[in-house]
Amino acid sequence: MSDGVAPRTGRGPDTTEKNRLTFWGALSSWTPYRLVVGLATASPRRQFLILAAFPLLWVLTQHLGPMLQMLRVSFTDAYPVAPGVEQHFTLDNYARFFGDHIFWQPFFRTLIFASVFTFCTLILTYPVAYFLARHVSRKNQMLMLLLLLIPFWVGEIVRTYAIMILLGNTGAVNQLLKSLSLIDRPIPFMYTSFSMGVGIVYLTALYMLLPLYSALEKLPKSYNEAAADLGASAWTRFRRITLPLTLEGISSGCTLVFLISTGFYATPVLLGGPSTTVFAETIAGFFHVAGDEWPTGAAFATIMFLAAIILTGAFQKLMNSLRKGDTN
Amino acid sequence: MTKLTINRRRFLGTAAIGAATLASPAYLRRASASGGEVNIWTYNDFVPEAFKKQFEADTGIKVNIRLVDDQGKQFNLLAAEAPNPTVDIMTVAGHRFLQFIDSELLAPLDTGRLSNWGNINPTFSESDWSTINGHKWGAPILSGMEVLAYNTELVTPEEARSWDVLFSEKYKGQTAYIIQDMMSIVMLKMGYDGNMVAYLDDPEKAAAIVEEAKAFLIEKKPLVRKYYDSGAEVQQMFINQDIALGHSWNGPAAALINDGFPLAMTIPQEGSYGFVYTYNIANNAPNPDNAYTFLNAILASPEIGASMTKASGFISTYKDASNYLTDLEKKSTSFSDDELENLQFFRAEANEMKYGLVDPAVEAIKAA
Repeated sequence: MSDGVAPRTGRGPDTTEKNRLTFWGALSSWTPYRLVVGLATASPRRQFLILAAFPLLWVLTQHLGPMLQMLRVSFTDAYPVAPGVEQHFTLDNYARFFGDHIFWQPFFRTLIFASVFTFCTLILTYPVAYFLARHVSRKNQMLMLLLLLIPFWVGEIVRTYAIMILLGNTGAVNQLLKSLSLIDRPIPFMYTSFSMGVGIVYLTALYMLLPLYSALEKLPKSYNEAAADLGASAWTRFRRITLPLTLEGISSGCTLVFLISTGFYATPVLLGGPSTTVFAETIAGFFHVAGDEWPTGAAFATIMFLAAIILTGAFQKLMNSLRKGDTN
Repeated sequence: MTKLTINRRRFLGTAAIGAATLASPAYLRRASASGGEVNIWTYNDFVPEAFKKQFEADTGIKVNIRLVDDQGKQFNLLAAEAPNPTVDIMTVAGHRFLQFIDSELLAPLDTGRLSNWGNINPTFSESDWSTINGHKWGAPILSGMEVLAYNTELVTPEEARSWDVLFSEKYKGQTAYIIQDMMSIVMLKMGYDGNMVAYLDDPEKAAAIVEEAKAFLIEKKPLVRKYYDSGAEVQQMFINQDIALGHSWNGPAAALINDGFPLAMTIPQEGSYGFVYTYNIANNAPNPDNAYTFLNAILASPEIGASMTKASGFISTYKDASNYLTDLEKKSTSFSDDELENLQFFRAEANEMKYGLVDPAVEAIKAA
């Protein structure tokens, strides 16, 4: 049945008399507009650029922008600039790190802690991911993943306080040990590298678990079954098949956890003790103390960022060579 | 045209409202016409909630509070916003005035616009630190001090007479302090001027003293359980019994005492330092008239001062505020004459030299 209006084809501008009266109808049939749209969408490359423009703008302004600004601040001698003060560019902020050994200890301590905690997280979460991916039915996997995700709906500080409640002198762990008559006096778990490690492993576990789960889940069961048929023990099957074929997940998880661990601030401050000062605390100190210490803080943050990137790059390279070696 | 009828009761009622309006503080009359908002950066509980609601209802001025927990952060934030800050009133500790003033971040306070200025105890409003470059820079609201706080079930008052107990083997792993503040206290304990004003003309001696205090704190580092930063942290550690004693500000300690926790605090015989929190108006504040209205209102009565003490644990600077405290609150905010004799206020004159030496020393202690 015809209503007197020509049917729309879905291609090109609608030029019917009725739509020409609307704004969009008028605009789409306006020659300059059609020319611009035609030019913009003439090639797949241009179409991609149009689609990518907003995300690119977002990344540049919201992610890279502050980092580049901080990089710029790290080369200045004053920031925020007080009235009447002239800002100059300098390398002194970087020289301060290399010239004063008191900053090296928290720097290297952070890298060592991050490496150890990353390893602990891997060791603790691998069996969980393995169990989830290999021994839980498909239907229950999503439910269990959701249960594991629930603590991550709560902020870092709240979860850190939960650890404090757990490990304090009057906390649940000490109370339990006491009620079991295993201890007379509370064990001072808190404000040690142990409590800090527990907190960081807890906070980063999911970042390790998800890549591991993803890698393990993709691994065909038939590989292990074939190896078992050929007489390989459980350990041999894990060492020769499961582990090499999940190296990519291990690599991704470790990289994520290591990078996050090097930047942790609140958790080490709240759970750590006098001997566990990490570099993020040193950096934060420069931003807290008044005056023009921001440039030093920015320089130190840049140094840590570069160190973390170099180390993870080296780690990725090592994992790649292991994977290639395994393939060969 | 409506006929105007007025009976005796309505007349009396109208007259009473008129008289009340005329008698109400000048700030209400001025502000009722202005409305708008006032932006305040302050510590938790420094603006009593009941007062805020009443002020907003009376004046139509909306009070926007942004909580701060550190003077340095506040300085940096304000410096980043200068010369056109978003804040009208901020809470600066008296000994940090100079730094804010030098950076042109504060406006001199026009006390002539504050009819309630006289409600502040002159000990605070007229003391030597409160006038800089011939101007007043802030309205004192609360006073604090560095104290030795201790769990009364674990530590005796006799032990707590000296700061030495904080560094004793007996309480190894059961102590905590703010390391920056402890530097001044250790210098005082060693017989030096922890404010470093005495060494303004002798920077070498100042450096040597800081070095000595630093070496002492590094040597004693194995004894300390925690270097902490905020009042909430030390409260948490006392409640969890992670520590038996520690250096604290009197406010957080008093709050625990008022809650019935077995805690006491003292100013040890070697002495300690006090400080005063003040409300200051920012240079180029966006709502200066509303800021003055707010300041005058909050200084209006000793009950407001008492409610600030009840909430924060710090000592009110208002005259007669203690009349509105319970016996327990009075106890937790008062010290003996002997203790107060050992108290001196932080001073700002040598701050640049002091923090130039102390900040790297603190980093070195943490890193050691």
